[in-house]
Amino acid sequence: MPQEDAQGSTAEEAQSKKGLKKQQKEAEKAAKKAEKQAKLAAEQQGTEEDDFAKDQYGNSVMVQSQQKLDRELIRIQDLTPEKADKLIWLRARVHTSRAKGKQCFLVLRQQQFNVQALVAVGDRASKQMVKFAANISKESIVDVEAVVKKVEQKIESCTQQDVEVHVEKIFVISQAEARLPLQLEDASRPEGDGDEDGRATVNQDTRLDNRVIDLRTTTSQAIFRLQSGVCMLFRETLTNKGFVEIQTPKIISAASEGGANVFTVSYFKTSAYLAQSPQLYKQMCICADFDKVFCVGPVFRAEDSNTHRHLTEFVGLDIEMAFNYHYHEVIDSITDTMVQIFKGLRDRFQTEIQMVNKQYPSEPFKFLEPTLRLEYTEGVAMLRQAGVEMGDEDDLSTPNEKLLGRLVKEKYDTDFYVLDKYPLSVRPFYTMPDPNNPKYSNSYDMFMRGEEILSGAQRIHDAQLLTERAVHHEIDLEKIKGYIDSFRFGAPPHGGGGIGLERVCMLYLGLHNIRQTSMFPRDPKRLTP
Amino acid sequence: MSMYQVKPIYEGAIKADLPTCMYTIPSVHEQQAGSSHSEHAHQNGESDSAVRALEARQDEIMRKLVELKAAVDGLAKTVATPDADLDLTVGSSLASPSPTACTFSGTADLDALLGKDLGALRDIVVNANPAQPPLTLLVLHGLLCQRYRVLSAVHVHSSVSAVPAQLLSCLGAHQADGCARHLFQLGFTLIWKDVPKLQMKFSVRSMCPIEGEANVARFLFRLLSPDPTDAALATLVDSWVDTAFFQLAEGGAKERAAALRSLNGALGRHSWLAGPELSLADIACYCCAVHSGAAGAAPANVQRWMKACENLGYFSRATLQ
Repeated sequence: MPQEDAQGSTAEEAQSKKGLKKQQKEAEKAAKKAEKQAKLAAEQQGTEEDDFAKDQYGNSVMVQSQQKLDRELIRIQDLTPEKADKLIWLRARVHTSRAKGKQCFLVLRQQQFNVQALVAVGDRASKQMVKFAANISKESIVDVEAVVKKVEQKIESCTQQDVEVHVEKIFVISQAEARLPLQLEDASRPEGDGDEDGRATVNQDTRLDNRVIDLRTTTSQAIFRLQSGVCMLFRETLTNKGFVEIQTPKIISAASEGGANVFTVSYFKTSAYLAQSPQLYKQMCICADFDKVFCVGPVFRAEDSNTHRHLTEFVGLDIEMAFNYHYHEVIDSITDTMVQIFKGLRDRFQTEIQMVNKQYPSEPFKFLEPTLRLEYTEGVAMLRQAGVEMGDEDDLSTPNEKLLGRLVKEKYDTDFYVLDKYPLSVRPFYTMPDPNNPKYSNSYDMFMRGEEILSGAQRIHDAQLLTERAVHHEIDLEKIKGYIDSFRFGAPPHGGGGIGLERVCMLYLGLHNIRQTSMFPRDPKRLTP
Repeated sequence: MSMYQVKPIYEGAIKADLPTCMYTIPSVHEQQAGSSHSEHAHQNGESDSAVRALEARQDEIMRKLVELKAAVDGLAKTVATPDADLDLTVGSSLASPSPTACTFSGTADLDALLGKDLGALRDIVVNANPAQPPLTLLVLHGLLCQRYRVLSAVHVHSSVSAVPAQLLSCLGAHQADGCARHLFQLGFTLIWKDVPKLQMKFSVRSMCPIEGEANVARFLFRLLSPDPTDAALATLVDSWVDTAFFQLAEGGAKERAAALRSLNGALGRHSWLAGPELSLADIACYCCAVHSGAAGAAPANVQRWMKACENLGYFSRATLQ
């Protein structure tokens, strides 16, 4: 500083001179400050006066259905280059916003689709409007009037890559709180990416605690749209096959499959149970001549297992049908239904599958038509060949199931297969024994990517044999009297099975946790939200 | 032992001609020399595992011989008394009452060829592209069915969207008793899949996939009849198979014509391509000739030979209808 240099050379007379200079400087400073303030005030006043765009933005009054505007809102997914240079209205969430001088870039989102929006100072938008737009909190819902413009360079970060919109009016319909419990970008960051760059990821519990926000991610949107697709295809295929959809009670008087893992609820002066499966009821429908039935509904299991694939409440897709001579007719029917679902998903839900794959990459689901059927003994032999030691009548453990799935995939290149003829001892009492070998039974499991999704069998339709089997399993005959009685008045041979909807979605998409495919999952540790 | 060992200078088990009138004692030398485990084991009366396996094999062969004798006896009975029914044992032990039984000499034991049966169906999985149906393999499948109890299945992989109906029924009608898989000796699973090259998988743990229709055909044919012991003949068959696939099927018009000419030459000397009997060479060449559409313009000997093939009856699948 030159001032200090001067001080050094003339130290004697410095005192008075220095004081003087200081005073002078301070005065100068104060004058400048005053001037600046005045200028700012004037500017503010000035802008307030000449903000020509002040009707073009703002917080809209709460929509209380005051008026019914005849205004067409365009969907973001419909914003294509054909709409270029048109003036449109749209309602969307503010996904991100980035202000840069006289411009503000917003990304507007509608479900899984998003588009870039630009608010720039010009003859339609003022500086204040840009500032307002930049300050809108993320996740707020806005109404925007804008002109669609083609872009020269593809916008890689948005789903609508060929166009952007130039905002002319912007109104906030519903403001989001500025602090979000989780960031959408973090929640939709591809698996593994966060760990590498030290960027934030969101853990499962945070996601589930703030499910409403987590469900807004494109991945969640795609998962649950696909889940809805599974249900739709299930209904569609079975209805075409002549099945009837039935509804069964969920509050029941006796545990359907074994007394363990059943929820007890108080029922006036006594207690009741939550249905573990619609098993007995769908069988009764068969006895009541409905021929082929299916039902879609919640199923409850009081299993205290905290694994990636167990829930205490899940959606069961249940099938039961009468057959003519061989229970393989049932297997064929079920496997064909599954194949139709897989094909439907492959052909009609490719966008959703791709979106989930972006965050959770996995190999596409492979299957054979007709479905591959192996026998239990063959499965055991394959496992033994691979070095697993197990008895003939042991049930498959989860790791063995997975290993068998890998072996089958290696040889047949299919992610879906049926394992037939399980040992009788590992199946419920109502399973029909094998006619040729009493150790085995007419029962089957179906596997997707090496995990069980369906368990089914030919059921015993003869009251006497059923009683024998129940006694053998030491089941109290009094408790299942109603069930056994329904077979006393003539019952067609029948079989069926139950599929877990969440598991099908999880395994089809190659996800690793069933909580990702359950909208509001229930497990031993979670009852909310 | 911490010290060095020397080899015995004489064999421990020298058989000396000992007088039999006196009592015997175990050989002292043998005990000394018997330092290795196998010799100890031998002395203790335990036979070597190899010996046991040999014994088991011998027993198996004897059992088979007895079975065969019974079968022949049964047959003799039916020949002598034409209206006597073939009893069941005869039917099962002679499961090949077809022309192949005489065509392909030499027994092929599935256990020896494909490894021991451990309870799983021995399933041969063929992945084929519907754009290039493996005609040779379809013919060979027909022959296998005549020799063994084969469980056949056709699947469509999800990588292929639609397959013509005749490709779905190319392995014959659906088997009604297909539900009892353990009753079958062999599985033949054809999967129509988007593969660049035909592929066969058998035992994924111990065998790599076999690629190419010619190689798979060689594998399948070995299940029907063992390789000829004559190396020259084996080479001849092999070279015809290569000619079939590289020149007749994939080659250009010139190459095809050349191949047909050499076929004509060979068929002038013998009735079949490799000697007096039908072999894989004939099957491969016939299928490739039919597939390439060269059949119509073929020279005389080839025409005659093709007629002869057709008369055998099991080439009908090569036309895929």
